Amino acid sequence: MLGQQIINGVMLGSVYAMVAVALTLSIGVLNFLNFSIPGLFMIAGMAAWALIHAGVAWPLAILAALAITAAVSLVVERFTWRWLRGAEPFVPLVSSMAFLLLFEHLAIAWWGSEMRVLPPLFAGTDWRIGGFVIGLPQLAGLAISIASIFGLSLLLKRTSMGRSLRTIAEDSDTALLLGVDVNRLVPVVFALAGLFAAIAGVLFALNYRQVQPFMGEAVGLKGISAMIVGGMGNTWGAVAGGLIIGIAEVLSVGYVGANFVDISVFGLLLLILVVRPTGLFAGLPAGRGGI
Amino acid sequence: MSGPPPILRLERVTKRFGGMTAIDDLSFTVRRGSRTALIGPNGAGKTTVFNLVTGAIPVDAGQVFVDGRDITHVPSRKRVRYGLARSFQNVRLMPHLTAIENVMVGQHCHNGGLFGVLQPVNLWPRNRWREAARAALREAGLEQYAGATVKNLPYGVQKRLEVVRATMAKPQLLLLDEPAAGLNSAETEALQALLGGICGSGDVTLLVVEHDMHFVGALCDAVVVLDFGRKIAEGTPAEVRADPRVQEIYLGTTITEPVERCHVARSA
Amino acid sequence: MSGYLEGILVLLAVNVVFAYGAFLPVAAGQLNLGLAGFAAIGAYSSAYLSNAYAIDPTFAILFGGIAAGAIALIVAVPVLRTRGIYLALATFAVGQIVQATLLNLEVVGGAAGYPVTAFIRLPTIAAFATGVVVFVALLFATRFGIAVTAVHDDERVADLMGLNTRAFQIAAFTLGSVIAGIGGGLYAHHFSFIEAQYFNIGLSITIVLYVLLGGTQTVLGPLLGAAVFTLLPELLRGSANWRYVLFAAAVIILMALRPQGLLTGEQIRRLLGVDRQGRSALSREPAA
Repeated sequence: MLGQQIINGVMLGSVYAMVAVALTLSIGVLNFLNFSIPGLFMIAGMAAWALIHAGVAWPLAILAALAITAAVSLVVERFTWRWLRGAEPFVPLVSSMAFLLLFEHLAIAWWGSEMRVLPPLFAGTDWRIGGFVIGLPQLAGLAISIASIFGLSLLLKRTSMGRSLRTIAEDSDTALLLGVDVNRLVPVVFALAGLFAAIAGVLFALNYRQVQPFMGEAVGLKGISAMIVGGMGNTWGAVAGGLIIGIAEVLSVGYVGANFVDISVFGLLLLILVVRPTGLFAGLPAGRGGI
Repeated sequence: MSGPPPILRLERVTKRFGGMTAIDDLSFTVRRGSRTALIGPNGAGKTTVFNLVTGAIPVDAGQVFVDGRDITHVPSRKRVRYGLARSFQNVRLMPHLTAIENVMVGQHCHNGGLFGVLQPVNLWPRNRWREAARAALREAGLEQYAGATVKNLPYGVQKRLEVVRATMAKPQLLLLDEPAAGLNSAETEALQALLGGICGSGDVTLLVVEHDMHFVGALCDAVVVLDFGRKIAEGTPAEVRADPRVQEIYLGTTITEPVERCHVARSA
Repeated sequence: MSGYLEGILVLLAVNVVFAYGAFLPVAAGQLNLGLAGFAAIGAYSSAYLSNAYAIDPTFAILFGGIAAGAIALIVAVPVLRTRGIYLALATFAVGQIVQATLLNLEVVGGAAGYPVTAFIRLPTIAAFATGVVVFVALLFATRFGIAVTAVHDDERVADLMGLNTRAFQIAAFTLGSVIAGIGGGLYAHHFSFIEAQYFNIGLSITIVLYVLLGGTQTVLGPLLGAAVFTLLPELLRGSANWRYVLFAAAVIILMALRPQGLLTGEQIRRLLGVDRQGRSALSREPAA
């Protein structure tokens, strides 16, 4: 039983990890807590539902949901970053919070506030290995998450764009001096972050088959916790944080009761923030560098 | 015992930032009632000395004595009670406070207890703290700026406001970090008049970091020279100007500086 | 007075109280994203007192505010050692924990919500709101206002001038939470039903946003922000949901065009003619 729960926790954790990575990118490179990311997570999940519900084939629906979300993320970039550089530092954070609110209530306006259920697209595809049950979408989800994060890691370490991004993360002024085209790269960060949030949203929708306009708050906010627990600005830390939170949550439900899940998760977050704000895996100046 | 202790004494103070030693076994004294200049090339550690004295950063070794009392481990917030006040190299006025309110922040150390904090200073126009601040502004010739938004004021006015704000703490030792930097000649004269008024009575000792040697020459009666965090020379302006080690530092560095320095050295 | 008008004014009064709950910490440079949690503490504790012990709502509400303040004080001491993003996130975590705890507290209804028996009307609510505004205005007319603004503007320099920056931050945070608790109590005793789900991060975000919309440099900014948030959508006659859409869009556009909010200190001074001295003196200055 414990083993199964850990597997389930890993699955959930990979969703949190993707959201955490999206947040980490923004904080690491732009030093900005992007509250719109939980909203993007929700948009991807609900868009996937809406398209499938309208009869679109699920592979196409997924791709479309990802594309839509990445595009929306670029709109967010315009209004939280591009036109606001030089303004008070809190402005991007505040605008991103407004975007979260905007997305949630637009979703309610279009789709209503009830929970929506996705059809069981992958029924009968469960693997049974040694007494454990693993669903195909769960496994695919885990594989895709791992692949995406590896891909991001490669991008950051091996490509010149990645190097430029890491330079900006270290010190944006130096990056400018070194000729890094910050203006061209910032949308890339937003698009990547949006993509990761979108993948997480689609995976969540397909695995748990439930979406609703406030799902961003429920899941996205745990993603923030994962990011902090793992160490702000550290991609692999975010992954570790996501897995920790996912497993902790599933174990909480199993052993302590579903009621105390949130208290444990956010209690852990609070403890870490107060005692070791740089997270479990930093050795890095918090919020800067170390992508 | 030969009279009261010096107003400021640094005793073998060392400060390191990572692998770099910013202040290296530094000792000097500031005589009570003097107007001492702290000079040295860029990066010599002058502002760091100020930060160590005011407690903004802790020392790694050595001691700091103000008025004979060891303040090395006193938290920065409490050092103002020992009679220290300072102004900053880049003007650091509070942008969301008016000029007079900025000056009133300087009074806080005298009016910061529970009753002080609840004093309705902005309610009645005739509150005595507000009046005191206004009087200080008047003496500095800055009264007309009292209600102004500070970020709109000319740079020279802002720098003088910072000095006025520092005086409100009624300090024994006033630390001024490049008070004349960026001022034109009219503003520099106004600043000199202001400082003359402050130091006139001899109750306030001045320690000034400056690059403007004319300003230093006109104002100061003692000089401490730093380079690479070490004391190179200490004495009257004339003594320091004649010191070959000092001349070497200044003539050996930038191209723009030496002409000024030569003039100063020759007119000694 | 028509029921509709009374309803709007009640909403306005409650939003005004919430606004000042958010304003106090922001004025000291901190973002309290757990504000809804403190409102919830006030709501639930005051509702419990008036339900279970038949205490007069006015006293119950005041007590609710104090309860919220007490929790805030306990939380503030460790949490306010953090800064910036960390502080915002820590307060967010606190709000989530409060909400989750209340969801599980069966004695006050748990997830099913908690009905409130006692009922207060507009005059009481308006009196509380007026009291809060007057209190904050008076508070900011004292040296406290100058000190808090100094801490907000430049914590390092304020510390060097002898201000106990930590004490001011804790004070602002705690007072703000007391006010939020009072707001929660007012809400509970007028809308007769409270549920933990209402006091979520979305509520905290909404309140913070309309305070920033109004402008945080002056004591009147939050009042304006609450008024715009409450009244403008009424003029546009949309559903409750569209109010949020328009509000969020308005904030986004405002942050792009005028991040300091609608009312700034400079503006007020100019309106009152006090800043004339600064500007006319500017024209007399020699070229710098």
